[in-house]
Amino acid sequence: MRKQPTHLHLGRRTALGLVTAGLAAPFIRPSFAQAAWPEQTTIPDSLKGTGEVRIATFGGTMQDTQIKAYFEPFEKLSGIKVRAFPGSDPTKVKAMVETGNVEWDMAQLSRGSIMNLMKIGDYFEKIDYSLVDDGVGQEYRFEYGLEMLVWAQVLAYRTDAFKGAKPTGWADFWDTKKFPGERAMFGTNSGGWPEMEFALMAAGVPADKLYPLDVDKALASYEKIKKDVVKWWDTGAVPTQLLTDREVTMTTVWNGRMAALQAAGVPAAINWNQGLLKRDAWGIPKNAKNKVNAQKFVAYSTMAIPQARVALGIPYGSVNNKSNEFIPAARLEVLPSAPAIKSQLVNYNYDWWIANREVVIPKFNKWLLS
Amino acid sequence: MAVSRPFAASFAWQRTVPYLLAAPLLIFMLVFYALPVLSMLMRSFFNPGLTLSNYTSLPDDVVFIKVFWNTLYTSIIVTLGTLLLGYPVALALVRTRRLAPLILIVIMLPFWTSVLVRSYAWMVLMGRHGLINEAMMAAGFLDRPMRLLNTPLATQIAMVHILLPYMILPIANALRQIDPSLARAASGLGATPLGTFRQVILPLSMPGVAAGTLLVFVLALGFYITPAMVGGPREITLSMLIAQQVDQLNWSYAACLSAVLLATALVIIGAAQRLPGIGNAFKMSAR
Repeated sequence: MRKQPTHLHLGRRTALGLVTAGLAAPFIRPSFAQAAWPEQTTIPDSLKGTGEVRIATFGGTMQDTQIKAYFEPFEKLSGIKVRAFPGSDPTKVKAMVETGNVEWDMAQLSRGSIMNLMKIGDYFEKIDYSLVDDGVGQEYRFEYGLEMLVWAQVLAYRTDAFKGAKPTGWADFWDTKKFPGERAMFGTNSGGWPEMEFALMAAGVPADKLYPLDVDKALASYEKIKKDVVKWWDTGAVPTQLLTDREVTMTTVWNGRMAALQAAGVPAAINWNQGLLKRDAWGIPKNAKNKVNAQKFVAYSTMAIPQARVALGIPYGSVNNKSNEFIPAARLEVLPSAPAIKSQLVNYNYDWWIANREVVIPKFNKWLLS
Repeated sequence: MAVSRPFAASFAWQRTVPYLLAAPLLIFMLVFYALPVLSMLMRSFFNPGLTLSNYTSLPDDVVFIKVFWNTLYTSIIVTLGTLLLGYPVALALVRTRRLAPLILIVIMLPFWTSVLVRSYAWMVLMGRHGLINEAMMAAGFLDRPMRLLNTPLATQIAMVHILLPYMILPIANALRQIDPSLARAASGLGATPLGTFRQVILPLSMPGVAAGTLLVFVLALGFYITPAMVGGPREITLSMLIAQQVDQLNWSYAACLSAVLLATALVIIGAAQRLPGIGNAFKMSAR
């Protein structure tokens, strides 16, 4: 599965990704250099080294930001050269480890896709937490990966569609009388997991009582919106394109896409309430040649300043508690990790999905086609 | 007649040359096509131990049945669409001398355009606020925009557009092979123009029709990007399901679905080979 917020799909879906990215390209320039970025001048000796580290990313503006935020500073501070490879993909990690031809030393994935692979085999190295900064929250740490980017899957709507009325949650998304127009939601086509949490909240399940998900109840709730969903999207550029072209009045989106859309003048807004707080994670493929360097980079990139630099380049939040002091207040207002926003979001439960996806996805597919 | 030794040697050499010429491609296909396909097929029998469960569970697999039927149905509609639209164009292409280059360019243009640009063009045309809807509303045919994009109809239209050249070119080829004197003889013997077409031209062009139909149908079976981009919310093709299952890490099941897709294409090609004239049509288009 893929949970990446901003990237071009490479591989099988290159085509799709490129078109949709092309559509959104004018809107997703990274907002560099609006404020001076904090600089880190030293790192612990334990993070220094020689040679190189090959990092698979999700490409696009995300990678542009990463290069400036922590690839280049890491090279300077550690003496380890960074080579970036766009197109990170758990299925590629699987193939690399199985064939013994591991071309990436680390990859940007999600806790879900890392644990998913660990469930069927031994595909990742354990993270060396002796190197990792104390500021990194416990909730972001797990044995075979470290979460390094906080983002949100939220409701977005056209502000010109409802005569000034503002949707405030999934009940409104489901209410096509009060908020007329068609909808788009995330589907299973790119190996994604459907937004059953949203369907349940629309049916009145409180945010703190979601997990374990009641799948039948979720599908019954989905049934009510099914005829209004014109697209089950699978790449991040699709929902923003649908909003821009007025194909839908409301959709689910990855929050990072929306800042760019708004910057381009499209009358659209995010409703953070009842959104899902998701994370990207670094994973180190089993027996990667430069795994020692990869451990060092995992530790460096989750330190307070590198994390803050990413959040300044692209509206995704930090996993380091100390980052916020390096981020201006105005910027904090658009980050999913900002306290005022984070409190409205529901922590996505990757573990539940990993344990249940094999049953849930076919059930969802069956429902969709019925 | 006695054959001199050098001549015999060169004769043997001449028989070897075609194989040598074909060898690089054959080796390439073996290494980069046949072997991967074989290993993919093998995977479908392991989950993780040797098993036929992937295949035996297919008949009860509601998702598979629906997706498979949708794939076949779309391919049939698209094949009929290209045939109805393509035959007259092929006829025009062969009959008109002056317009032929222009027609050929119009046919080939989508052929040379990337599938991405084409799909985007369909979005611009068929969108809720796209050209078609805006024009219809301006002309007063519609009060509110109708849904064209993200429907099965959009997939069918876009696929017909993409696959038309595969229908037109074999038919035009077959039509061009027909001796013009046959049509003249028919009308000389009193056949009406329609009669000439029905009784002479149409039957003689059937190998081209069969070849075009086969090509379009088999290609349509494997469509992935177009239905994903402009298709309806419930429109999943076999290729889309395969991609989805690869991403969901169900590789063994994905391999099984791929085998089914491959087998379907092979069965159709195999059945078509038994129809008279098909082999001929390919021979002619190779010329």
